Amino acid sequence: MSPTADVRAQILEANRQAAEALRTRFLQEKTLVVNLISSPGSGKTTLLEATLARLSGKLKTAVLVGDIATERDADRIRKLGLPAYQILTGGACHLDARQVQGALEKAGFGALDILFIENVGNLICPTSYDLGEDFKVVLLSLTEGDDKPFKYPAIFARASVALLTKVDLLGIVDFDVEAVERQIRTLNPHGEILRVSAKTGEGMEAWCRKLEHALVAKRA
Amino acid sequence: MHETSIALEILKTSETVLAQHGGSRILRVKVAVGELSAVEPELLRYAWEAVTVGGPAEGSRLEVDFLPARQFCPTCGPVARAPGAWVPLCLSCGAPLLVEGGNELDLVQVEFEVDGEKP
Repeated sequence: MSPTADVRAQILEANRQAAEALRTRFLQEKTLVVNLISSPGSGKTTLLEATLARLSGKLKTAVLVGDIATERDADRIRKLGLPAYQILTGGACHLDARQVQGALEKAGFGALDILFIENVGNLICPTSYDLGEDFKVVLLSLTEGDDKPFKYPAIFARASVALLTKVDLLGIVDFDVEAVERQIRTLNPHGEILRVSAKTGEGMEAWCRKLEHALVAKRA
Repeated sequence: MHETSIALEILKTSETVLAQHGGSRILRVKVAVGELSAVEPELLRYAWEAVTVGGPAEGSRLEVDFLPARQFCPTCGPVARAPGAWVPLCLSCGAPLLVEGGNELDLVQVEFEVDGEKP
C-alpha cells in the first residue's frame, strides 16, 4: 500500500483567496460589484448600455469586460463616455479573480459606486469562479429557449438575480415565461426574477432600483 | 473548457502535498465534484492526462467522486430522481422543489510513492 495523504482542500482555493482579497477591497472602497453571466448574444452589453445611461449622473460606474478576442464590448461602453477595461482571456472561457485583480490595477478606475463585470459569454465556466462580487446576475433571453434553467442548473442556482431579457419579443418567439420562472424558483427559491427589455425600457426601472438598493444596503 | 484550469489547480495542490510528504511520484488523486459545480468528470479526467505530462503526476489516476444534488419538497420531503434529471415540481403535491448540496469541488486524497520505499 502506497502512502496516501487526506487533503480536503477546495480545488479553487487560490481563486477563493484572491476573491476574498477583492471582496475586502470592494468593502473598504464601498463599491457594489455585480458579475453578469449569460450565453453570447443574450444582451449583456446592450443591458449595460441601457443601465449605465439610466444611472449616469447619479452614480459613478465602470465596466470590466471579459472576452476571448476583440475590444468591441469595452468600446461600446466607452462610446457612452464611461470607463471600461477589456480583459482578453486568451482562449479561457471565464474570468478568474486574479485576472480581475490585474485588470483593476491597469484600469485605474478610481472611486466607484458600482463596478459591473461582464463575464465571458457562456452559462457554464464562469459559474465556478468567485470574483469577489456582491452577487451574480444571470441573463436569459427569450430567443434562447425556455428549457435553459434545468439544462444549466448551476448558474441559475447561484445567481441571486435572473434577468429575462428581450421580453419585447414575447408573443413573437415561443417562450413560456411562467414555466421558466418556475424552473428558476425551483433551483433558487430566494433569487429574484426580473423581466426586462433594454430596447423598450420595460423592467429597466425595477432593475436599476434593485442595484441602487443593493448599493445602499452595502453602505449601511 | 474550464476543466483544464481546474485540472491545473488540482495538480498544483497535489504537487504541494507531495513535497510536504517527501514523496517522489503521484499515483492517484481523488477529488469530489458536485453535480452543480459545472465540472464534467470525463472532461476533467482528459484534462488531467494532458496537464500531468512531464511531471511527477504523469500516468497517475484521477478518481472523481461525483456527488448528486438533493431535491426536497417543502411539504413532502426528499424527492427521488435520476442523476441529472431536474424535476420542477413535486410529483405528489405540485409545490416547487428546493435544492440542496451538489456544489462540492474538493481535493480529497493524494496517493504517492516515496523513493526507496516502494511497495
